Amino acid sequence: MRRRQQWVFLAYRLPRDPSTPRITLWRKLRRLGAAQVLDGLVALPLDSRTREQLEWLADEVEEAGGLASIWIAESASAAQEHALASRMAEAIAGEYAVLIDEAEKVRGATSAERRRAVRRLRRQLQSITRRDYFPPPEREAARRAVEALAQEVAVAP
Amino acid sequence: MRWATRRHCHVDRAACAWLIRRFIDPEAEFIFVDDPDELPDDATPFDMRGVELSHHGGDCSFETFLKSYELDDRVLWDIARIVHEADVADERYDAPEAPGLDALMRGLSLVSEDDEAMLAVSGPLFDGLYEYRRRALLLGREPA
Repeated sequence: MRRRQQWVFLAYRLPRDPSTPRITLWRKLRRLGAAQVLDGLVALPLDSRTREQLEWLADEVEEAGGLASIWIAESASAAQEHALASRMAEAIAGEYAVLIDEAEKVRGATSAERRRAVRRLRRQLQSITRRDYFPPPEREAARRAVEALAQEVAVAP
Repeated sequence: MRWATRRHCHVDRAACAWLIRRFIDPEAEFIFVDDPDELPDDATPFDMRGVELSHHGGDCSFETFLKSYELDDRVLWDIARIVHEADVADERYDAPEAPGLDALMRGLSLVSEDDEAMLAVSGPLFDGLYEYRRRALLLGREPA
């Protein structure tokens, strides 16, 4: 039997005011690709990096006067885990789709614009890949779209 | 002095250990623990939850060290920019070197037998990075 995925959870509560720490936390969670399980409960597949990153955020919550705790957990049912993983994959697929769109749109632009776009899109791709824990097919499609654009720029006069 | 941190050093802890040995305490002895409860009383903890020399206000531990020890060497702050992005990757700084440093540190931790061995190989790497960035800042361009 396949060993079930382990997850790291951050449970937190932040004071309603001021709103800055809430927004900062929200941005950082988004950058990590954490899945919101409930209000004040987020999850990531467990590895040394995800655990550490959530631990730092727990500290930040406490520094902002909130409550935070870190838990290591396993889903009690495969279906439940599958639902969470699919939701994460869907969200990330949406990000890749936006990237593919942008790579497509810039095709008609001047070669200088396309060169800048390649640099920007490569950077974005790298940052999305970093928070992509359950790679959807769009990942490969996005990589190919950016590289195709790079190829075009490379052979442009 | 004795210093303590979590086992399995990655970029931020490796950078802090290098900083300690080179700029703060040449005789530093490091202890690696799995759990904060195992911290010895006579050791200064760093890069762990709830301790002074750790992440604060979005800074990584390396930045906290520079602030706490008032190390205002601009080469060290330049390295802090890279370590921060390799560790936190929140795009606070422009650090194109960061993904490379991150990959090297992850690789070194895979081939190192333990944390002491990891620090023995990552130390010279930071020495090199320091020298490279020192010359780059002096010249105003990347050294050849």
